[in-house]
Amino acid sequence: MTNARHGKQLLQYGLVLLIAITLNFALPRLMPGNPLALIAGVDVGLLTPEERAEIRDRVGLDQPLHQQYLTYLGDVLTGDFGYSYRQKQPITEMIMARLPWTLLLTLSALAVSALVGIILGAIAAWRRASRLDMVLLNGMIVLDSLPSFWLGMLFIAIFAVQLGWFPSQGAVTPASGYQGIAYAVDVMRHAALPVLTLSLLSIPRVFLTMRYSMCSVLGAEFIRTARAKGISDWRILVRHMIPNAMLPVVTVLALRFGFAFGGTVVIETVFSYPGLGRLIFEAVSGRDYPVMQAAFLLFTAAVLLSNLLADWLYPRLDPRARAA
Amino acid sequence: MMSNLERLVRFGIPFMLVLIFSMTAAAQTDRLRLGMTTGDEGTVGPYTYNSGDPGWNMLLLQYDTLYQLDADGVAQPWLARNLALSDDGLSFTMDLRDDVTWHDGEAFTAEDVAFSIDYFQQFLHPRWTRVVRPIESVEVLGDFQVRMQLSALTPSLELGIFSDVPMVPEHIWSVIGDPAEHTFTIEDNVGNGPYRLVEYAPDQFYRFQAYANYWAGTPQIDELVFIRYADMTGALAAIQANEVDMLVSSIPPEQADFLGMNPDLAVAQGPLFSTQMINFDVTRPPFDMPEVRQAISLAIDREDIVETVYLGQATLGNPGWVHPDSPRFNPDIATTYDPEAAAALLDEVGIVDSDGDGIREFAGAPFMPELLTPSDNALRIRIGDLVGEMLNAVGIGVQVEVVEGSILGDAVWPGFDVRQGRDYELATFGWSPPLQADPTRVASLVHSNPDIASFNLTGYSSPEMDALLDALNATNDSQRQQELLNEIQTLIAEDLPFIMILYPNGVYAYRPAVYDDWLFMTGQGIFHKLSFLPAAARP
Repeated sequence: MTNARHGKQLLQYGLVLLIAITLNFALPRLMPGNPLALIAGVDVGLLTPEERAEIRDRVGLDQPLHQQYLTYLGDVLTGDFGYSYRQKQPITEMIMARLPWTLLLTLSALAVSALVGIILGAIAAWRRASRLDMVLLNGMIVLDSLPSFWLGMLFIAIFAVQLGWFPSQGAVTPASGYQGIAYAVDVMRHAALPVLTLSLLSIPRVFLTMRYSMCSVLGAEFIRTARAKGISDWRILVRHMIPNAMLPVVTVLALRFGFAFGGTVVIETVFSYPGLGRLIFEAVSGRDYPVMQAAFLLFTAAVLLSNLLADWLYPRLDPRARAA
Repeated sequence: MMSNLERLVRFGIPFMLVLIFSMTAAAQTDRLRLGMTTGDEGTVGPYTYNSGDPGWNMLLLQYDTLYQLDADGVAQPWLARNLALSDDGLSFTMDLRDDVTWHDGEAFTAEDVAFSIDYFQQFLHPRWTRVVRPIESVEVLGDFQVRMQLSALTPSLELGIFSDVPMVPEHIWSVIGDPAEHTFTIEDNVGNGPYRLVEYAPDQFYRFQAYANYWAGTPQIDELVFIRYADMTGALAAIQANEVDMLVSSIPPEQADFLGMNPDLAVAQGPLFSTQMINFDVTRPPFDMPEVRQAISLAIDREDIVETVYLGQATLGNPGWVHPDSPRFNPDIATTYDPEAAAALLDEVGIVDSDGDGIREFAGAPFMPELLTPSDNALRIRIGDLVGEMLNAVGIGVQVEVVEGSILGDAVWPGFDVRQGRDYELATFGWSPPLQADPTRVASLVHSNPDIASFNLTGYSSPEMDALLDALNATNDSQRQQELLNEIQTLIAEDLPFIMILYPNGVYAYRPAVYDDWLFMTGQGIFHKLSFLPAAARP
């Protein structure tokens, strides 16, 4: 029975992936704008019609759309994403060079927001309706409504320009020649502000889920039983409440990981960070179709994978979900 | 527990910060950090760079041209020593420098010149294939002498061809072969210019090193590190945070005073040959009537726009197209603002406000043309707003539409091919400096033949103009060229195929304590090869 269920689930994911792949192909081409300027450079206007045709032919843009689509599907299956129009580099290489930077930001931010969100959520629920709870709750709602680019620019203005504590832009000091620990420290200093921004944007969701989940556990029978047995508050909180309240938070965290990828488009642009988000931003600005397709596909895959992870993880954490 | 946390905050965090700072504060000598705010330039090779500025200028740090523009924008002998034209103007001999070496130590010779021109003719390059097309053949007369045959009289050899096209080494490029089949790396960039690209981190930086054996003299700075920023906002924060020493692109007008107040920064300013203009489709009524175009021009208060949008850091647009600081400018053409005359002209052609609602009617309907402005260009949006208000004041009910840059491009210049026509009424537009820098290229804007006029985005056509332009293209006599250019500017000012609003100044921020010997090149700004050469080596 479970095998049949898993089979159905995988089929669903496969279908979603195919739809996403098709959209990734169609959307860039539905946008107005012309990639010719990117392929041919700034002097595209000076080309003769024959030269234009030669360039379109070279990158396959002269083929009918269904032909381009089939070629694209074949490329996706073989993992060959072709060459960027703009940088004339293999796209797989371009993505592999940027992926570690994006993972550094998203995973660090996920860890920070999980830690802070869970702790604050637990405290707020424990002291619910207190002044502290109200301050935290309202603060989180305000934080959740802040635009990420604005928050990023604010941090740059304060911590980089005014105070000079952290670098404002980039992932490393350019051409520094740093090695070993000095290099690692340099990377950490550069990641500090983007990670802070990304974390602050994720904390409210984790906090709200944790707080709500904790509140519902608080009223549960087994907590009352534990209290009646004379177990200390601290022990109840750590041993009985937090593990039970964590279940929905795990789902939220898994989903946040997928969405954090999308969030890097803005953050990496604000901080000139050389990750996938920046790659997408520049590809969209210049209608670099192959790069857009490959990067969107990766983002789609990240969201699907994090969903899959949540689906897989949940029954393992919560015995009740297994019976269903 | 609280006291532990307090202790951590009070002592631990500052300690960590001090540790981090002391580890990363390394001394740097003789290195200049330049900030780029435009896109990636690939490996900055002849077939991989992307933008005209800074891309082309970064390319020319590595590769020299036969002629080189001086501070006034005049072409001077560079790799070439001289150029002796034949009487019929269809061939010439050229002597080359004999003391030039490529970065790998090989000598630069006449063979390289013949090879370069042949290569760009054979393998399509969006910029130079067209430029070298008039050269029919190149004959190597000796190690350092060539003779070239032209297929037709060419008005602008030194400026238009030889200052633009870099020379490439035959021993490298004969191995590369077809550039479309080659995956370029920075090792391919063996040039003969003052710098060599030694490190490229995509989306992050480029590092150039001075070429010690550069023929014109050792460059003043050992290392140039170009740092890529995602946008101008990021770059401006970086220069204030002392993460970069100079921005290669012109900064927004409102930043000039602000950065100038910073004691560590200086701002250089001068004329730039880029343009801000209003385009219309002159084949579409009522813009097909010269009176209507004149009325629009007269209704625009350019001084107000220069003051309001550019805070005075721009030159008033001249209706004759050419920048007043260009040596080819016709000083008889004045810029006029006269809204009453504009209203009278519209009355004269029957575009009047008959129902008294403040908006004139044309062909039975309110005259409410759409003015497109690009959402990615804040200055152009503001120009569009002001122009809209000024035209409203004379009864033209302009509707300003802010659209994405590529949507505007699709409407004004579909497929980047003027043969495909156009689909707009009014649009804010602008050209980059090279078009102004060589005034003989004006034909590409206003000739009726699309093979000549790749940039005629307004559909303008006039037999009188074509005759003048054909005459201009058939002479290389400077005096005769000037006479023709004067007439062409007069005719443009009368017919108004487009409306010049202003020429923005180039405004550049830099850190004078690191490097202060910038050379402002008229129309080009301060980021170019000459700024890094010793004063004695500058032409």
